[in-house]
Amino acid sequence: MVGLGFRREFAEEMISGEHIRPDFIEFAPENWMNIGGYWKKVLHRVVEKYPVLCHGLSLSIGSPEEPDKEFLQYVKTFLQEYNVQIYSEHLSYSKCDNAHMYDLLPIPFRMDAVKHIAGRIQQVQDFLQRPLVMEIVSYYTPVAAEMSEVDFINEVVKQSGCQLLLDVNNIYVNAFNHQYDAKAFIQQLPLDKVAYIHMAGHEQVAPDLIIDTHGEPIIDPVYDLFEWTIQHLRPVPVLLERDFNIPEMEALQGELTRLKTICHKQWKLKDELVA
Amino acid sequence: MNLLPDTYHIQQTFSGYCRTGEKVSLPGVAPDRLKHYRRLVFNMINDTMENAFPIAFKHIPTGKWNKMVKDFFAHHACRSYQVWKLPLEFYTYAVENNWEENYALPFLNDLLAFEWAEMEVYNMEDIPAQPFTAAGNWLDTPLVLNPEHQLLSFTYPVHLVAKPKELLRQKGVYFVLLFRDPETGNVEFMDLSPWLAFLTEQLVMGITVRDILDYAPQLNITDTDTLEKDTLAFLQHMQQQHFVLGFQS
Ligand SMILES: [Fe+2]
Repeated sequence: MVGLGFRREFAEEMISGEHIRPDFIEFAPENWMNIGGYWKKVLHRVVEKYPVLCHGLSLSIGSPEEPDKEFLQYVKTFLQEYNVQIYSEHLSYSKCDNAHMYDLLPIPFRMDAVKHIAGRIQQVQDFLQRPLVMEIVSYYTPVAAEMSEVDFINEVVKQSGCQLLLDVNNIYVNAFNHQYDAKAFIQQLPLDKVAYIHMAGHEQVAPDLIIDTHGEPIIDPVYDLFEWTIQHLRPVPVLLERDFNIPEMEALQGELTRLKTICHKQWKLKDELVA
Repeated sequence: MNLLPDTYHIQQTFSGYCRTGEKVSLPGVAPDRLKHYRRLVFNMINDTMENAFPIAFKHIPTGKWNKMVKDFFAHHACRSYQVWKLPLEFYTYAVENNWEENYALPFLNDLLAFEWAEMEVYNMEDIPAQPFTAAGNWLDTPLVLNPEHQLLSFTYPVHLVAKPKELLRQKGVYFVLLFRDPETGNVEFMDLSPWLAFLTEQLVMGITVRDILDYAPQLNITDTDTLEKDTLAFLQHMQQQHFVLGFQS
C-alpha cells in the first residue's frame, strides 16, 4: 500500500480520484478534530473513499511535563470515530514549559531522556489502547548528547515497546547533516519494529545542510535508499508526504507509482491491506 | 518524571531560544544550525497570524506588527494543540496587554475580534438546529435561527472599512452578525442597526417578533408602522440568506 498525505490544497482531486489515486491517506488528527462546516463534509467524503492512517503533531512525547489528558481523549475518540488503523507520532518534543512550539525539537540523546520517554509512550499506549508508532525525526543539530542517536532510538524502542515509523528521507537528511552512513544507521535499527514508512522531498540550503521541507519531489538517492531499506523489512504501508509547493496531481501520482513499483519488485507481494 | 534536572533545563533552554531568538549556549549545539529552529518555528507562528488576520496585517505598520508577533510568542505560552486556534490566543493577549493603547491603534481589539470570529465561525463544530417548519406566522410564531452564528458589537466599523484613518473617523456603535451558511459552509456577515441587533438577540431567546416589536417604544423607537414592515422584510431577506431557517414546529 502506498498512500498520500491528505491536504486541503488537493482535497477535491483526491476525492475525485481522477488524476491521483493513493491506496490510503494520512493526516494529522489535530488538523481535523473538532471542526465542522465545509471541511467536516470534505473529511467525511474522503474517509468514505480511502482507508485512513493518522500522524499526530502535538503529542510531544519528549516533553518534560505530563501528557495532556484532554488532548489524548480527543485523539482517542477521533481515532475510533474514523476507524484509524495506525496512529503515529514523532520522537521529538514540540511543547515545553506548557508552551506549544508547533515544530519538532530534538531531544537530548541521553539515558534519562530514554527512560522518561519510554514511560510516557507506555502511558499513552495504555490510554489509547493501541501501539504508538514513533517516527525518527530529522534534526539539524544534536543537543547535549551523551549517547549515539541509534543507541537512543534502540533504547526507546526496547524500553517502551513502541513500533517505529521509518522516514527514509529523514534518515538520508540526518546522515547528510551529521555525516554518517545512512545504510549502516538503518542496519542498526530494530527493523522488526518498523510498522510504517514515510518518503518525502527536502531542500539543501547550504553545502552541509539539508532542511526537511516536504516541499520538493523525492530525489533519486532517497529512492535508492528506500529500495535498499525495504529489502530488510516486512511489507508495511508507505506514505508520500508533500506539504508545500504542491505540483500537478500527475506529478504526485508519478511518485506514488514509482514507490509502488519498487514495493512490488522488492516485496514480491500484492499490497498488504491494512484496512 | 525520569528526566534529570540538567536534561530538563537543556530542553527548556532550547525551546526558550525558539520562542525568543535570544542567544543561548547549549552543549554540543552548533549555533549556525540552531538558528534554523528559531527561523522555522517563528515563521510558522508569523504565517499563522498573517493568514488569520489578513486585514490587520495589511494595515498595521510592519514594525508594529513584527513587534506584536514577537512579543506574543516570546511571552505567551501557546496552549492550543490545534494551530488554527492560536489566533484566539493572540487576540486575547492583545486585549490583556492593552495593545490598543500601547501601539496607538484604537481599533485593534475590534479588528482582531472580527477576523478571529470569521475564522471561528467557519471552523467551529456543527451545531444542530432546532426542528422547524417552512410555514408559520412571522409575527406570532417563534422563529428558528441558524445556530452557527455570532453577534458582535464594535466601536469601529472594522467589518465595513479597512483603512485606519477612516476607521478612526467613523468611531461609533456598530453591530455585526456573522453566520455560517449551512449549504456552502461560507461565513457571511452583515452590518446590523442597533434595533436589528436587539431583534436578533431576542429571537435567539425564542421571543416572537410581535413581542419584540411591543418593546420598541422603550428603546425610543417610535415609527412603529414602518418598523414592523422593515423588520419583517429584514427577516424574510435573512431567510433567503439561510440565517432564519423557519418557524418553530
Ligand atoms: Fe515523516
